[in-house]
Amino acid sequence: APFVLGAPVSLADSINRTYNLALYMQKNSSVLVQTYLQYQGSPFSDPGFSAPEIQLSSLAPAAVPFTLWRSLGDGERLVQVHRAFSALAQHLQLVSDDQADLNPGSSVLLSQLAAARLRAQGLMSNIACAITVLGVSVPPEMDTLGPAPFGASVFQRKCRGYVVTREYGHWTDRAVRDLALLKAKYVA
Amino acid sequence: MEVYFYLRLLSKMGENKRMKNSSKFQWLSSVIFLYLVNQAHGQKRGVPHDLKCITHNLKEWDCSWEASSRINHGTTYEICIINSSYPCIQTEKTRFEIPALSLADHEIKISSMHASGNSVTKFILNERSVSLVPAMLQIFNLTADFSTSTLHLKWNDNGSVLPRHSNVTWEIVVLYKEDMEVATIATLNTTLIGKDSLHHWSWTSHIPLECTPHYVKIRCYIDELHFSGQKEWSEWSPLRNISGPPIKENYEVFPQDKVVPVGSNMTFCCVVEEPVLTAQFGSERCSLIRLDNKSVAIEINNIAVSPSSGTNVVFTTKSYMYGTVVFAGYPPDIPRKLNCETRDLKEIICSWNPGRPTGLVGPRDTNYILYERFSGRNVTYSRDEEHMNENHQLIFQMIAGQEIYNFTLKASNPVGRSEAVILVDITQRVYPHTPSKLIVSDIDPTAIILHWHLSGNFANINLLCEIEINTPYSGQELRNITVKGLETSSYRVSVDKLMPYTMYTFRIRCSSENFWKWSKWSNEKQYLTMEGIPSKGPDIWREWSADGKSVIIYWKPLSINEANGKILSYDISYWSEEEKQYLPEIPDPQHRAEIQLDRNDYNDYIISVVARNSAGSSPPSKITSMEIPNEDLKVEQIVGVGNGILFHWNYDPNMTCDYVIKWCNSTQSEPCLIDWKKFPANSTGALIEYDNFRSGTRYNFFLYGCKNQKYQLLRSVVGYTEELAPSVAPNFTVEDTSADSILVKWEDIPVEDLRGFLRGYLFYFEKGEKGTSKIQGLESGRSDVKVKNITDITQKTLRIVDLQGKTGYHLLLQAYTDGGIGPGKAMYVVTKENSEGLIIAILIPVAVAVFVGVVTSILCYRKREWIKETFYPDIPNPENSKALQFHKSICEGSSTLKTLEMNPCTPNNVEVVETRSAAPKIEEDTEIKSPVADGPEEGSDAEPENHVVVSYCPPIIEEEIASAGGEEAGGSSQVIYIDIQSMYQPQAKPEEELENNSVGGAGYKPQMHLPVTSAVEDMIAADGLEKAAGYRPQTHVTAWTLDSPDSPRSIDSNSETVSFGSPCSVNSRQFLIPPKDEESPKSSNGGWSFTHFFQNKPND
Repeated sequence: APFVLGAPVSLADSINRTYNLALYMQKNSSVLVQTYLQYQGSPFSDPGFSAPEIQLSSLAPAAVPFTLWRSLGDGERLVQVHRAFSALAQHLQLVSDDQADLNPGSSVLLSQLAAARLRAQGLMSNIACAITVLGVSVPPEMDTLGPAPFGASVFQRKCRGYVVTREYGHWTDRAVRDLALLKAKYVA
Repeated sequence: MEVYFYLRLLSKMGENKRMKNSSKFQWLSSVIFLYLVNQAHGQKRGVPHDLKCITHNLKEWDCSWEASSRINHGTTYEICIINSSYPCIQTEKTRFEIPALSLADHEIKISSMHASGNSVTKFILNERSVSLVPAMLQIFNLTADFSTSTLHLKWNDNGSVLPRHSNVTWEIVVLYKEDMEVATIATLNTTLIGKDSLHHWSWTSHIPLECTPHYVKIRCYIDELHFSGQKEWSEWSPLRNISGPPIKENYEVFPQDKVVPVGSNMTFCCVVEEPVLTAQFGSERCSLIRLDNKSVAIEINNIAVSPSSGTNVVFTTKSYMYGTVVFAGYPPDIPRKLNCETRDLKEIICSWNPGRPTGLVGPRDTNYILYERFSGRNVTYSRDEEHMNENHQLIFQMIAGQEIYNFTLKASNPVGRSEAVILVDITQRVYPHTPSKLIVSDIDPTAIILHWHLSGNFANINLLCEIEINTPYSGQELRNITVKGLETSSYRVSVDKLMPYTMYTFRIRCSSENFWKWSKWSNEKQYLTMEGIPSKGPDIWREWSADGKSVIIYWKPLSINEANGKILSYDISYWSEEEKQYLPEIPDPQHRAEIQLDRNDYNDYIISVVARNSAGSSPPSKITSMEIPNEDLKVEQIVGVGNGILFHWNYDPNMTCDYVIKWCNSTQSEPCLIDWKKFPANSTGALIEYDNFRSGTRYNFFLYGCKNQKYQLLRSVVGYTEELAPSVAPNFTVEDTSADSILVKWEDIPVEDLRGFLRGYLFYFEKGEKGTSKIQGLESGRSDVKVKNITDITQKTLRIVDLQGKTGYHLLLQAYTDGGIGPGKAMYVVTKENSEGLIIAILIPVAVAVFVGVVTSILCYRKREWIKETFYPDIPNPENSKALQFHKSICEGSSTLKTLEMNPCTPNNVEVVETRSAAPKIEEDTEIKSPVADGPEEGSDAEPENHVVVSYCPPIIEEEIASAGGEEAGGSSQVIYIDIQSMYQPQAKPEEELENNSVGGAGYKPQMHLPVTSAVEDMIAADGLEKAAGYRPQTHVTAWTLDSPDSPRSIDSNSETVSFGSPCSVNSRQFLIPPKDEESPKSSNGGWSFTHFFQNKPND
């Protein structure tokens, strides 16, 4: 849930708190993708597995050219992160459902996915708060998945889960960078 | 590959074969016939020849012939069947159709009319020359099920235009890949039914249909029995192909998400434009099989069981990875241990073990359905993820009125199915819930009501319940009860035959009367039953006080079983003929009471004791105050066995109530009572065991018999549970002593110290000096110790006779019991002097002395002259005394005598040591012979002698040297220069001097006082002159190393010298070489040091 209304929140406080949450998420994000791959069988579970060519059209990649990233306005910067984590939260729910079918016995993986989703939502709420304090309107939550959840093959689901957990890590890194930039600007 | 053929018509394979054989023969013969006809009529060019007729349906013949093109162009033909009503046919084609003709030969006349002229050709046509060629088939429908890689083919058999019951053989060919390789050829047989019917054939490809195009064609062969002509296959139908997969499934790898049994063989393909580089199945690399331009495949045989998320099949191109997942698992095992039971007769719980894991999870996991055959109802298993590996169970709601259930448990998963069946009479399978809410209520002190709750509807059955009753004292008891089952769940049952005021622990379990299983035990319920009146009066005894003024009544507390509650108090009453009197109520912990009665008024009272608890009073226990006297009472002795003391008495029919044995410590003051025990009247013995009995303590036991409620003392017994040796020695004194006897008297040992029945005394006596007694601890086995065993324990004195007068004796007295011998008391006594002996002892020596004196006097008188001559001659001139001369000769050479005559001379620092014959001295100084006897004490002893030596006068020395030089080889006088400090003179030993003389001349040899061999002597002799010139220790010392014991030995290698760390002075044992560098032998100072130490050595 977004921050309690009524109590005025300073931008510095909001950014600082959001930054700390992102930093905390960053510590766990690499564990998530590794745990995820471990349960998907070879070649996913092979050591050093990486498939950057696999992307999801419904999930915007975190990577962005530096100059473009640097020139983003504060509001736009936060809106992008907000949009990404909104999408990630939905995708993580999808991946949780997929894995409940594929690996119903792997409570470790399922709990990590659930935790990641909750953190994504938490970060989203915090960013929404910061956006509000900046005076920018918070983008409405959209259905980013489209018809993707239906009719995907098991292999596509596995790949989708991989991309989601991987991008969760990338976006967490990006969020830390974005918030660090804002922190430097707004937090004394 | 599987072929599904749905046969609509009856198959007549056997007939077909026979027909084929016969039609071949007919075909051959008709060819020969037509040839002959053509030879006869068609020799000329341009006329029709080679007439051929075929039929598609046996109703019409379609005939054609060959004609030269030249003639053919613009030619019209008239075909007439000779002798037939069928009209002639005018045509410009070289073929005609006619209805089927009869079996006979028919002459066909074909008249060709063309510009160049007319010609007529005749043919003989017969059915045998006609070929049956079915019309080309059209595939009605070809569909593909991509999920199963199955083709479904449908076609029409045109049965309506063909004779019924004709056998048809269908040949279907499936081609695949772009180059149309044959995938499969199938042959089917059917029978026509006289009307059109659709036929259906299915085929499953081992390659997914999506991988590459598949094509199908079909033809047929009709084996009509009644047709005598030739039969041929129809033409192939046009190829029909399977178009690609539905567009919405935009996959590259096939098949997708298949679930297959473990051990299957599978082909996976990848359809992509760019070349596939690698493929892997799980973690295993696979070799690629090229299907066509865009498609590659891999074949996997004997697929192993997949992990939970399936086995990945991945094709990798340069830019991407494409994949699919296959799930290989086992079909469900037959459910094991299927068991159905009810806990409450409301619902049936069926449980089973799924058996071997299928390896399939999630949506692919086994699905279970429990089907009940009689009611037709079923229940579906919903998976509980938390109990994945435990026994599975399903709950089936019971149907009213139905007791017999026939269950079928159906298990299925994507790769198979199985089932298990069980038929149960549910009333025989009741496993009740655990009884709960156990409550106890009272009925009376020995009965309670037990209430419990047991959920379920058991109205139609009886319940068998087991009640466990536990008490701390009497242990566990199980009682089975049967109760009528109830629709409500509250049950109650009374439990009787309990003990009052007892803490019980109850618990209960139940089963149905038709036993199947016990429920679990309910929780325990503790309950204390009500108090009941005490079941008997206390065990009582009474004792008169010592002064006889009161009776003390004792009683024992009632046991828990007898008290039936908490005893609150005791009521005491007593009476004789007079009225009953009561003592005030006595509260419980007190178990005695005193009643003021006078023993001497001989009034016998009956005393009654009643115990009381909250439920009531016990029956009274009674005892009379007086005893029946017993005149002939003896005190007996008894010793216990083991832990207790065993009593026997004779059966006495007069004793009507009981026997009582009471006992007390023998030293206890009145009233004598520790405890008592009662024994029934018919008993003749008892074993008294008492925890507090102690070994070596004397107890008094009293056996009473009871007649008419009056007790009579029957026996008085003194006893020990175990005897020990006395703990103290008997105190004895010597009453009287004479010259040859001693009278000893002793006292009794106190009972508490005796610790057993006294059996006698042991008296030891031994002659000896005071303080030297060895009696103690050596009571036997010594001949010089005499012992007397006094077994008469009443004896208190002992006279020991035949002793020697005025002699010391050691005495020892010990008491003993059966438990052993106690300590002894020792005493030393000297007997009195014997007066006669004393007189004789004085007189005899006096007489002898007088006699000797007289004889001596006489002798001396008679020989006085001789004595005078001998012992006291006239004093002569001492110069002439023989005696002195004798002494001088003997003592010649003795420095002592000699020096007595000398004037002392002042010693100076030049010392000349003489060599002298020491023979007489050796005899004198035997103590000095010991090589080690050179301690300081001896040194001091020898000092005067040495001083004498020092006090030397040169003139005499010169004489001595001369004589010594002649006697000793190699020996020579030496002059040693020493300073004042070296005036210390180590004691000289004559024998050492002698030994050292031989080497002394050769210079200093520290160890040379040990035996010297001749070899060494020779060597020394060779060096003699040099060495004789004076002692030069430095020359040798330089060769030494300080700590090397070998160095001196190297000089006299044959000596048995004990090695020293440092050269050592023979006499002083001082180290010759001082430690370390303080005084190095190399230093120039070393010279005088050595001289100092050894100046006594070369003292020849």
